[in-house]
Amino acid sequence: MRALTAAAAGLAAALLLVLTVTAIGAPDGTTSPKPLRTTVPAHP
Amino acid sequence: MRRKASLILLAAAVFCTALSPLLRWYAFPRLAKVPPSQYQDTVLVAEPATLVDYGTMKAKKVPRLTVVQTLKGDVAAADRIERTADRDVVVWDALTYVAGPDGKMVSQIPERYIFDAHSQEPVHATGESVDGDAVRRDGIEYKWPFLVEKRDYSYYDPQTRTAAPIHYRGTRTFHGLEVYYFEQTIPWTKVPLPKKLPVKGITADSVRKMGTTRWYTTKRMFWVDPVTGAPVNGEEIHKEELRGGDLLPGGGKVTAFAGHVKMRPDYVDAVVALVSSQRTLVLLLTSYLPWGFLTLGAVLLALSLTLEARARRPRPTDPAPAARPVVSGGP
Repeated sequence: MRALTAAAAGLAAALLLVLTVTAIGAPDGTTSPKPLRTTVPAHP
Repeated sequence: MRRKASLILLAAAVFCTALSPLLRWYAFPRLAKVPPSQYQDTVLVAEPATLVDYGTMKAKKVPRLTVVQTLKGDVAAADRIERTADRDVVVWDALTYVAGPDGKMVSQIPERYIFDAHSQEPVHATGESVDGDAVRRDGIEYKWPFLVEKRDYSYYDPQTRTAAPIHYRGTRTFHGLEVYYFEQTIPWTKVPLPKKLPVKGITADSVRKMGTTRWYTTKRMFWVDPVTGAPVNGEEIHKEELRGGDLLPGGGKVTAFAGHVKMRPDYVDAVVALVSSQRTLVLLLTSYLPWGFLTLGAVLLALSLTLEARARRPRPTDPAPAARPVVSGGP
C-alpha cells in the first residue's frame, strides 16, 4: 500500500510539473523595432 | 530506515519514468513553436546576373545582384488573430528586396504570411497578402515544420501565388549538419509585375496597359535542418522575361532577370550557428531529456528494489535466538 502511495506521488509530481511548464509556455516577446531591410547589410 | 529510502526512490523512479513520455508527447508539441517576435534577415547574391535595362528594353549583364530577405514577426497582429483562431499564431511581415550592383532597388515584394506557430500550417486571416494582393496560402513558406519528414511538402510560391510540391531529394551533410535537401521547379508561368518598379513613371499598371506580360520560371533548392525545420541554405536558379505588348512588339521577349541566387557565405555561417543552437533545444525535449529521465527512472527503480529486498532479508549480524538453558536434573 505504501509503495502504491509513493508511486502515485511520483506520478502526480511529474504531471504537475509538465502541466505547469506547458501552461506557462515561452514568452511572446515584442515586435522588433528594426525595419524591413531596403539596403544590403555588410554583415549578419 | 531502508524501507523509507526505498519508498522515496520508488517515487523518484516513477517521477522520472513518467516525465519521459510526458516531455516527448505532451510538452514538446505545446512548447516547440516559432516565437511571434522573431526578426531575421538573409542576404543572397547572384554573381553574375542578367537584368533588363528599361531604357532600351534590352538585357544586360551585371556583375552582382543582391536579394535581401527580411522576416519580422508582428506580435500585436498575432495576438489579435489568436483570439479568433484559438491557436498560437505567427504573423510574419516579409520583404524581398532586390538590389542591383549600385545598391539601387530592382524590385521589392512585401508579404504578410500568417501561420500556426507549432505546425507551420497557413492560417487564413485578414491581411494575408503578397505585394498588396490578398492571397490564400495552402502550403508552407520559408520554414518547414519541426521534425521534418522525408517526404514532399506543399510549398507556396509568392510569384505565382500558388502552392506546388517541393520534393525531398535525399539527406546531405552541410557544414557538419545532417540536412534534408528539397527541390521545387516552377515551370514558365505568367505572373503579375511587382507593384514597385525601378524606373520612375513606369508602373505595373502602365506596363499591363501596354499589353506586356511578365513570365517566370525557377528551380528552388533548400537544405533543411530536419530537427527545427529551418533551412540552413537556399539557392534559386531564377529566370524572368517580359513578353510582347507595345514594349516588345512582334511577340518579342527580353530577359528581365536571370541568375543563380545563392546565400552569401557569411549569412550561411550565421544561419548554421543559429539553427545549431535551436536544434539543441528541440533535441533536449525530443531526445536528450526523455531518454535521460527514462534511464534515470530505471536506475532509481533498481536501487529502490534492491533496498527493499535488503530490508526484508534478515540481517546476518542479528543475534541468534538465545538457547534455553539446560537445567540438569539432580541425581
